[in-house]
Amino acid sequence: MESYLYDEFPDNVCTVHIALFVDVANAAPLRARLVRASTLEGVEGDAEREAVNFAFIDAKLVTSRLHVQTALYQSIIAFTQSALKTKTVHSEVLWSLNPTNNITEALRRFGISDSSTAIVVARVGPQSDRSVIEEQMREVIQGRLVPLDLHNLTDWSAIKKYYKLNTDPVIVAQGQNLNRQRTTIDELVTSFVAMKSVMS
Amino acid sequence: MPSTSLTLLASATLVKQGAEAKVYKSTLHPAPNLASLAPDKVQTDASQPVYVLLKHRFQKNYRHPTLNASLTRSRVAGEARALMKCLRAGVNVPGIRMVDAAEGTLGIEWIEGESVRVVLGGGEDGEEIQDDEQGADADIEPPDLLAVFNVNQNDVMVMIGTEIAKMHLADIIHGDLTTSNMMLRRKRSLLSTTSAENKETELLLIDFGLSYISALVEDKAVDLYVLERAFASTHPDSEPLFALVMQTYAEKSGKDWKAVGRKLDEVRLRGRKRSMVG
Repeated sequence: MESYLYDEFPDNVCTVHIALFVDVANAAPLRARLVRASTLEGVEGDAEREAVNFAFIDAKLVTSRLHVQTALYQSIIAFTQSALKTKTVHSEVLWSLNPTNNITEALRRFGISDSSTAIVVARVGPQSDRSVIEEQMREVIQGRLVPLDLHNLTDWSAIKKYYKLNTDPVIVAQGQNLNRQRTTIDELVTSFVAMKSVMS
Repeated sequence: MPSTSLTLLASATLVKQGAEAKVYKSTLHPAPNLASLAPDKVQTDASQPVYVLLKHRFQKNYRHPTLNASLTRSRVAGEARALMKCLRAGVNVPGIRMVDAAEGTLGIEWIEGESVRVVLGGGEDGEEIQDDEQGADADIEPPDLLAVFNVNQNDVMVMIGTEIAKMHLADIIHGDLTTSNMMLRRKRSLLSTTSAENKETELLLIDFGLSYISALVEDKAVDLYVLERAFASTHPDSEPLFALVMQTYAEKSGKDWKAVGRKLDEVRLRGRKRSMVG
């Protein structure tokens, strides 16, 4: 798990924790749990929501550390300006990653699905004990925590499809040179996430 | 509570100030805290600081706050959109790293390199005063810098023509083409190993603050005319060089060149502004 402390953000959202889990066995029950947690009421609901208070991102659709960091950064900016498009800063991360304004589509595509086996988990919050956060992550996800090395997990054709890059001159020009193309795609999607708030 | 952007800028280094914005060098994402994580080595891309350039369109007190906010917002948005369009079109421009339209901050990739103006010996932007300590060096500097980037002047002209042609093919008008708004940098090793052309230097267009989208031949011709004038005024005796820019532009823009070239001749006769007579 990697933790980042941002001096420029207010205390309640100054820290970002990012972790990558692979060989995840409980994606389906976890997704069901997230859906249930959102509708639970009362004290029990609050406790359950706190337990799963993370952004769960399908690692297939993340191209690099900077890609997900950018989404987190833009989400926190929106949060501090009370300009969230979605209900929480964590769902905003998924919205930021998705190239359209459709929230349902963002959650469906970039959130975990029943078949997900690799998940990027992120938490935005106050400065806190890293081991506690990591423990919380391990409690909700049955998988192996590994270093944040994303590009081998990326589904590049899905990325190209969702971000509509297939017809872009820059991609077409590069033809079959995969390494070069991936570097370019990573740059494109990272820039896209950064400017999503002013997309058009 | 001070805003996010202002706190970020307070810790950044001021690089340049213009009438419209201040430009800073900073880092965006701090080094990760990996302390309690056991053996995995800190990855190389995370260990060295990654710089970004922050362009802050500061509050203009001579404008009504509401107008100021909406102008700032739309200009930051416009610049970000132009950059994104260029990226998609394959024009070499810096990548976008953060956008805070409400505060007027745009964060882009930091380009470690030198402006074409300086490389061609046109001196630093604006101030001659800064020159006095190294005024004598000015004559020796240009060949040195070209060597650093392992290019000759003609290579640079070809790169300029190529980038502008790509940009105009995507119907993006830069609006402020000068040699100060072009940067040379050594390609990152990752890219150069697989690069189609063997040059290890690339040219990037920067500062899309005055850019807009247009397919009009008129606008493209004026864009080129502005560059031609900029060349003539910053780089004496550069006509043969600029001719190479135009030649490359003509080759790379294909069938569009005929119309743009004809229009450019027209613009040269009358200047940048269209006649308002009639």
